[in-house]
Amino acid sequence: MSEKKIIKTTCKSCHGGCGVLVTVENGTIIHIEGNPDTPTLGTMCSKGLSSIQHINHPDRLKYPLKRTGKRGEGKWQRISWDEALDTIESKMKESIEKYGPSSIAVSQGTGRGYNRYTHRLARSIGTANIITPGYICHSPRLGMYGLVTGYGRLYCDYHGWGGEFPKTQISWAKQLEISSADSEMAVWFLNSLKHVKNLIVIDPRETALSSRATLWLQIRPGTDAALALGMINIIINEGLWDKEFVDNWTYGFDKLKERVQEYTPEKVAEITWLKKEDIIKAARLFAEDTPGCIQVGSSLERQANCGQTVRSIICLLGVTGNIERPGSMMSWIVPDSGLLEEFFQELPLTDEMRKGIVGSETYRMGAARTAHSDSVVKQLVNGDSVVKVWFSVGGQQILHLANTQEVLQAIHNVDFLVHADQFMGPMAEHADILLPAAHWLEMDDIYNMHPRFMIEAINKTVDPPGEAWPDNKIFNEVGRRMAPDLWFENVEKMLDYTVRKANITWKDFSKMGVLAKIGKDQIYYKYKTDYWKKGGGFPAPTGKFEFFSTVLEDMGYDALPYFQEPGESPVSTPELAKEYPLVLSTGYRQPFYFLSQYRNIPWLRSFQKDPVVQIHPDTAKEYGIEDGDWAWIESPRGRIKQKARLFPGIHPKVIMATANCFNPEEPGPLHGLLTSNPNVLTSNDHCDPMFGSPDLTALLCKVYKVE
Amino acid sequence: MRWGMAVDLTQCVRCYACVAACRIEHFLPMGMSWPRLVAMETGGDSPTVSTYSVRCNQCQNAPCVEVCPTGATYQREDGIVVIDQDKCVGCRYCIIACPYQNRTFLSKDKDKGFFPGRVETDFEKAGKKLYRHQVGTTEKCNFCVERIDAGLAKGLKPGVDREATPACVNTCPAQALTFGDLDDPNSEISRLIKEKNGFQLHPEYDTDPSVYFIDGKIGYSDEPELRDDSRQEPASAGAER
Ligand code: SF4
Ligand code: SF4
Ligand code: SF4
Repeated sequence: MSEKKIIKTTCKSCHGGCGVLVTVENGTIIHIEGNPDTPTLGTMCSKGLSSIQHINHPDRLKYPLKRTGKRGEGKWQRISWDEALDTIESKMKESIEKYGPSSIAVSQGTGRGYNRYTHRLARSIGTANIITPGYICHSPRLGMYGLVTGYGRLYCDYHGWGGEFPKTQISWAKQLEISSADSEMAVWFLNSLKHVKNLIVIDPRETALSSRATLWLQIRPGTDAALALGMINIIINEGLWDKEFVDNWTYGFDKLKERVQEYTPEKVAEITWLKKEDIIKAARLFAEDTPGCIQVGSSLERQANCGQTVRSIICLLGVTGNIERPGSMMSWIVPDSGLLEEFFQELPLTDEMRKGIVGSETYRMGAARTAHSDSVVKQLVNGDSVVKVWFSVGGQQILHLANTQEVLQAIHNVDFLVHADQFMGPMAEHADILLPAAHWLEMDDIYNMHPRFMIEAINKTVDPPGEAWPDNKIFNEVGRRMAPDLWFENVEKMLDYTVRKANITWKDFSKMGVLAKIGKDQIYYKYKTDYWKKGGGFPAPTGKFEFFSTVLEDMGYDALPYFQEPGESPVSTPELAKEYPLVLSTGYRQPFYFLSQYRNIPWLRSFQKDPVVQIHPDTAKEYGIEDGDWAWIESPRGRIKQKARLFPGIHPKVIMATANCFNPEEPGPLHGLLTSNPNVLTSNDHCDPMFGSPDLTALLCKVYKVE
Repeated sequence: MRWGMAVDLTQCVRCYACVAACRIEHFLPMGMSWPRLVAMETGGDSPTVSTYSVRCNQCQNAPCVEVCPTGATYQREDGIVVIDQDKCVGCRYCIIACPYQNRTFLSKDKDKGFFPGRVETDFEKAGKKLYRHQVGTTEKCNFCVERIDAGLAKGLKPGVDREATPACVNTCPAQALTFGDLDDPNSEISRLIKEKNGFQLHPEYDTDPSVYFIDGKIGYSDEPELRDDSRQEPASAGAER
């Protein structure tokens, strides 16, 4: 008798979280498609669907391995989980004894629903040296939202639950439509566009959306703060601001007004390479046709002026009153399970942990609760590293950190490196202990959506290959050894604990699939109620939305937003620009890859084999490059090659390189890490003064044909 | 009854989900793809970026049907052009005849596995039992007739009920694909084509495709008359679309 069942689960192939139906017959997945009875309406993209090729992929890591040769030499010996965990435990304990708990670093990738494990593990060990890509993706936004509004999370209201959809939308340095980034799902965003009056796209290159938008602003990379401040200038000087909101609920408007006077439309046009009329039009549309929302892309956070950029954008939302209003920027109410962050927040950061954070003295916003990754790298290179043991799960820092050559050197200098992964890749190759990780189709877990209005169940559909373990089990087992009181008997108990506030068990939740606060369960205009503050207001120090940030003033940062040129640009480094005349942006993503993932998945690789750089046809002609040629892209740090795509939709002075690429099929230990990865070109020398974010998406370069 | 599809170029984001869904639905060999994405990036002062998600047009005057010497390619009553693999002799006349290049000959080298020479995955093994691919014959998109027929037998409506609707249409995160009966003036697809000036590819070939494309601007800033209240209706999450 054949047994066929349909299992409901949640896709984790990107930062989204689509509901999935998996048909399993006699232990084999025979079909996978979207689940129509979830908020993602049964849709799924090529990444999630191609998960079928993850299962039984011949290159999957199946057993724990220990390094036997030199680091990166590729000599391994299979060991048991017990031996692996024993070794990890003893190395960590030894390091704690010798150097203190801050000598342990825990790192993670995009943290698709497992951030809480990373942080809990670190804190339970007594360290806050967590290396995460947060500071170049999402954290600056959250940090700034937190400062200005007192509440850390604002998301676009695409849902119409308050009776209105956004009338004007700005898609700023983001392609939500192909990325479902930050769990603001493409399907919701695209659906909301059916109701939009004005769509404004701010992007250095044309996209499907920008070419059909009301207005497209082809901005010079790295000058976004100037644009936002210029728009505020126009809105204030033309009297278009939201008087009710500004008068009653904000702090420091007059000071902001004074500050933005220097950002005249003329000056901003010159800085940003935009037309003055377009800046004025954008400002008017956004101020007049409300409600509106702004989709903030992480490209803005991959720049060394990101703190002020994000801040300027929030102030733009503030002057237009686009906060907590139906169809504007919302902080959503969490489901009955509570904020899943409490899973680690219940272990408070101690003063000792704080003191031990690498980079905390310099980058007081970005390195307040986690380490400043580039400082960790610099210390490792200099031989004065606080971090000795590096426990890495779910992401390849070796690829996403700036200045790959330095990162490589740093990784060679780590005393002891543990890495968990599904495949052998550049990071795995350098580990001392390598742990095999399960795919989302092979695990039970709870997915925590970034907008936080829902959590979803990830239900196991098939067994992982060999002895691969889900991340949550890896964390729990290491945790049990290092801090037995703070971890759980098993994963099920841990998941029970995670949803306990909703008065359900993991088994209940697993059947429910989704726990959400949607529709009428959401509360708009929270600042007009007692929600944050008795009598109304925001949970910021002044009780208001702070254009003038009292917290930043106390910290010694400028309390008002300003524009800062990128560390390397035709304006800030004109001499360098003579040799490297083009602006290099590294924000190009393909919808079928996710950061460094999936170039080894045959279906996905079939869509585009080689990494592509977009170049304007006139520019290409000038440098003798034709469509399909391999082109060298060179910066003061090094050179890489990508395939040239002549694209009339990109600014002639800008080129756009594909991010985070390596070639899994090339030999180890590097697997093509230095061939095409744009981080070979990026700099970790200039970082955002608040968040420490390096310039990844706005630099200088030159291009020439690979002969 | 004439099944048709509308592809909305304002919505399509080039994500390749339609291609992946079709590969899963029909257990396509690694070298085979029934739908394709054709990228258009025009130059000039305002370049337009478009992606055409193309597949067999199920032409009403189908040149492929005309040239097929064995009757393997034929048109069903509902307009869908199908290929009987038992009758196809692999002469490939149809491949030359199709002006849209929507047919592929399944040669030995296209009949590749996911990981040739390394492992045959459980999914591929299952596929061999569940869906037949005959090397030496021609293949193309069949509008997911299997889903349509099984769905109709259950009393479901293609284009409305998921179970009876093509896989690519169901999965599209942009909801760029609409399926339905072109003969029914009240169907969603007929309404879309009418309202948004749907067009067929290469009408000059006189093949009368059943796949239409629609295009336009996003937002209604240029068309104030469209500012009606229906746009403000709140959507309920999890609702059928
Ligand atoms: S699934 Fe939809 S959006 Fe994606 S490529 Fe196909 S038609 Fe376009
Ligand atoms: S698109 Fe080509 S294969 Fe399809 S019906 Fe028309 S002629 Fe035949
Ligand atoms: S209609 Fe069916 S067969 Fe045709 S492309 Fe879509 S999924 Fe494939």
